[in-house]
Amino acid sequence: MGHFMYGVAAWVFLWGLYGIVSSRNLVHQCVSLAILQTSTYVLLLGIGYRTGGTAPVFADIPVGTLVVDPIVQSLMLTDVVVEVTVLALLIAMVVKANELAGTVDPEELRVLTG
Amino acid sequence: MIRALVPLPVVVPMIAAALVSAIRPFVPRWTAAALFTLGAAFNVWCTAMLFAATTHAPLVYWFGNWWPRGILAVGECFVIAPLPALVALLVSTLTLFASIQSWQLKPAASHLEPLMLLFMAAMCGFVYAGDLFNLFVWFELMSASAFALCGLKTAEPAPLQGAFNFGLTNSVGAFFIITGLALVYARTGALNMAQIGATLTAKADSLVLVSFLLMTVGYMVKGAIVPFHLWLADAHAVAPTPVCVLFSGVMVELGIYAVARLYWAMFEGSLATYGDGLRAIYVSLGTVTAIVGGLMCFAEHHLKRLLAYSTICHAGLMLIAVGLFDSAALGGFLLYVVGHGLVKGGLFASAGIVLHRLQFVGEPKLHGRGRGLVWTPVLFMAGAAGLAAVPGFLLETGESMMIRAATPFHFGWIRWIFFFGSVSTGAAILRFSFRTFFGWGAPSPADAASRVDEKQETVEEGRKVPACMFVPAALMIGLAAMLTFIPSLSEVADSAGHRFADRPAYIATVMHGAALEMSQFQALPSQGGGTIRSTLAGAAAVLLALATVWRRQSHLSGVLEHLECGVPVLRHWQSGHAGDYVLWLTVGTTVIGGCFVLLLH
Repeated sequence: MGHFMYGVAAWVFLWGLYGIVSSRNLVHQCVSLAILQTSTYVLLLGIGYRTGGTAPVFADIPVGTLVVDPIVQSLMLTDVVVEVTVLALLIAMVVKANELAGTVDPEELRVLTG
Repeated sequence: MIRALVPLPVVVPMIAAALVSAIRPFVPRWTAAALFTLGAAFNVWCTAMLFAATTHAPLVYWFGNWWPRGILAVGECFVIAPLPALVALLVSTLTLFASIQSWQLKPAASHLEPLMLLFMAAMCGFVYAGDLFNLFVWFELMSASAFALCGLKTAEPAPLQGAFNFGLTNSVGAFFIITGLALVYARTGALNMAQIGATLTAKADSLVLVSFLLMTVGYMVKGAIVPFHLWLADAHAVAPTPVCVLFSGVMVELGIYAVARLYWAMFEGSLATYGDGLRAIYVSLGTVTAIVGGLMCFAEHHLKRLLAYSTICHAGLMLIAVGLFDSAALGGFLLYVVGHGLVKGGLFASAGIVLHRLQFVGEPKLHGRGRGLVWTPVLFMAGAAGLAAVPGFLLETGESMMIRAATPFHFGWIRWIFFFGSVSTGAAILRFSFRTFFGWGAPSPADAASRVDEKQETVEEGRKVPACMFVPAALMIGLAAMLTFIPSLSEVADSAGHRFADRPAYIATVMHGAALEMSQFQALPSQGGGTIRSTLAGAAAVLLALATVWRRQSHLSGVLEHLECGVPVLRHWQSGHAGDYVLWLTVGTTVIGGCFVLLLH
C-alpha cells in the first residue's frame, strides 16, 4: 500500500500537468487543474495512512487506539476549500471570456503577446 | 499591550472588507473608499508599532493561547521579527498610497475596495506566519484576491487573458508548494517552521531536497523567476493601476521573501553542507532572470508591461541576494525590497497619471502627447534614477550591501549584473519619458503589446492632474530617497537580516519563548567604488536613452535598433498561452532538479 499511493499521486500529478499544457480549451484546462489538485489529496492521505488504523474520532474508541493521521486530513480539507475558490474564479473568467468573444479557445482569445 | 496588536493587521482589514462589501450597495461610493483608506491607514499604524516593538526582541503570538507543549507545537503562531515586520509595514504603506489613488477610479471597479483590503490582510499574514501550512493558506488567499483584482476590468479581453494566465500558472505553482509541504511533513511530522527546523538537522537526503526544490519553485513562480516569469507581464499590464502598485511593489517580492524564509527557518541546518552547489544554482537563476528582464524591459513599448519587465529584472537581482544563502546579504535584500517597492509603486502610480491624462499607455501613440504635463515627467525621471540605483536612493544602499556580501564567495562579478539591471531598466523609462513628454526623436517602433489599448479607468475632471493621483506617486518615490537620511540605516537592516537568519535563536524564541541574545556578527567592511559605479550606471542609463531616442544621428543606430526591438526568441517566448507557461514551469523545475542532482552530493 505505502509506496503505491505515492506512485498514484505522481501519476495523477503528471497527467494533470499534461492536460494543462496540451489543452486548447479553457474549461478543459480548468478541469485539468482540478485533476492536478487531486494528486495532492492522494499524497496527503497517503502520508497519513496507517495500516490497520481507524478513523481518528475518539468519541467511541479508547485513547491509544491506532488511528490514521488527522492532521493531513484537515490539511486536505483546507486545500479543497481554498482551491475550489480559485477554480470557481477561473471558471467565472472563462464564462466572461465566452460572453465577450464567443469562444473558449485560448488561441482566439489571445490579445497580449511579446 | 503590544502583543494584543499582533493579530490586528490581519483581522481588522478582513472585517473592514466584509463591512465594505455588505454596505456598498446602500451607501455613496466615497464611504467605501473612505473605509478602504481608513483600513489601510490603521494597518500602517499597527505594523509600524509592531516594527518598533521588535527592535528589542521578536514577538511570538500563539492564537487561542495554544502554547507549544515541550518540543511539540500544537497551535498556530505569528512570529514577528524585524525583517518581516518591515516588509509588512511596506505592504501597508503601499496599500495606503494605492487606496488614495483609487479615489479617482471609475465606480465600475467598485469590487476593488474589499478585494484590496483582503489582499493586504493576506500579505501581512503571509509575512508574519510561523507555520508552514498557514503560510500556504495566506499565500492562496493572497493569490485568489490577486487573480480577482487582476481581472476586475471584465469588459476588456486583455485583462481576462492576463488574469486567467496569472491564475492558472500560480495555482500550478501552489500545488508544487503543497506537494513539497506534504513531503516535509512526512519526514518531520511537524508543520511549525521552528519545530521543523529543530527536527531537520541531519544532512539532507533526497526527500528533503525534493521538498525544498518543489516549495522554492512554487514560491519562485510568484517571484517571477525565469523561466516561471511568463505570467507576470500579462497580469501586470492589465490590472487597474492601484492594483499594479501592490503587484509589482510587494507581491512579487514576497515570493522571493518566502524562499529566504523557508531556507533560514527550516532547511538551513540540513542544507548548509550543500552551500556551494545551492549558491551556484540560485545565483544563476537570479542572474538569468535579471538579464532576461532587463533585455525585455528595454524592448517593451507598452508602459505598464515595460514596468512589469523591470520588476522581473529586479526580482532576479533580489534572488541573487537571497541565493547567496548568507546572512550578511539579507540586510541589503531588505533595503532593496523596500526601496524597489516604493520606487516601482511610484512609477506605476505615475503610469496611472499618464493613462488618466493621455488615455494611452502605448509608447508609439503617446509620442509627444505629454508636452503639456509639467510635473509628471519629474516623477518619471526621479523614478528612473531610483530604479537605476543612483546614489541617494535606498536601492543603492541595498545594492552595495548585497555586493559586499557576495565578494567573499567569489561572486563579486554580480556587481556587473546589478549594473546591467540598473542601466537597462533606467534607460527604458528615460527613453519613454523623452519621447512622451518632450517629443524627442522619431516615434518609437510599435510592438504587438503596445497596440493594445486600455479603456479609461478614472473619472475625468478638468485638465489637471488630480492631487490624489500625483501626491501618492510623489510621496512613494520621495520616501525611497528620504529614507536614506535615517542614520545607522544599514546597521539596522544588517541586524534585522542577521536576526532573520539566526535559526537557533528563532527556534528558541518560538518553541521556548526565550528571548535569546543574538549571536554577534561581524559588520562587513565598506568597499570603495560602489558610489562611483552607481553614478556611472545612472549616467550610462541617460546616455543609452538619449542615444536610442536620437539614434538617427548616431553611428550605433543598427545596434540600438536591435536592442529596442528585443531578442526575437525572448519575445516569442511570451506567447500568451497559459499552457505554454505551465510547460515552461515543468521544464524549469526539471532543469533545476537536474542541477540539484549534479551539483549537490
